[in-house]
Amino acid sequence: MSDDAPANEDVAAAESPRPSDVDRSTTVVARTVVRVVVPIILVTAISLLLQGHNLPGGGFIGGVLTATAFVLVYVIFGLDYLQATILDRRDEVDEGMVSVYRRLFALGLALAAGSGLAPLLFDLPFLTQAVLFVEHLPLYGELEVASALAFDLGVYFTVVGALLTIIAEVGAE
Amino acid sequence: MATDLAAALDVALQAALVVASGLTLFAGYRVIRGPTTPDRVVALDTIGTNVVAIAALYSMATAQGFFIDVSLVLAIIGFISTIAVARYVTEGDIIE
Repeated sequence: MSDDAPANEDVAAAESPRPSDVDRSTTVVARTVVRVVVPIILVTAISLLLQGHNLPGGGFIGGVLTATAFVLVYVIFGLDYLQATILDRRDEVDEGMVSVYRRLFALGLALAAGSGLAPLLFDLPFLTQAVLFVEHLPLYGELEVASALAFDLGVYFTVVGALLTIIAEVGAE
Repeated sequence: MATDLAAALDVALQAALVVASGLTLFAGYRVIRGPTTPDRVVALDTIGTNVVAIAALYSMATAQGFFIDVSLVLAIIGFISTIAVARYVTEGDIIE
């Protein structure tokens, strides 16, 4: 983190004769591959999250895969890219996305703590299980939604928020 | 004829499992003895890819779809670790 070349000026870095500027930016191959791979990773994470109640998967591995997708964007595009494109803020260096991740962490803990209330929506006692079958979905067919999905969603948001907070803080140092 | 094909597929799967396991052992030798860091990184990446192949082959041999999830997640994490280590070796800093 010692020299002054910005990460996302790859045109200027490619035309510069100095090797230190060229080394800072990632190659076109890496950028293109990451643009293709990150949506696939996110779809895999969501599918693992949804099948988690009776197949391998669940909130934790879905959260880890989502965090790895964000890590891939961080490694290839740099720390400023996400908050410049998602939050549209360029001035604050490391507070923008980290506060979002902290709120996600708190939301996940609240969801996991309150997930015992989910069966009350289906007129079932507290902390029991309810299953809802959603049929005739486009492209997916039938989806089985258990009320354990509320707890899985809480774990998912907690894992995503915690891992991305750690990675953004450590990567900014 | 169908039983012949099934038997041949079974033999091929067992042979492929043995080959992938043996290659993993050789890659482990390169991880331990590798003179430079890129040697070890490439060997570790090969081990990861071999474990993905073993999971997929085992899934085919036992006709259980669970191991496909294992190989998918392992392949994704191996890809990311390869990129991170390559960036660390070339620049000494992973996230900038």
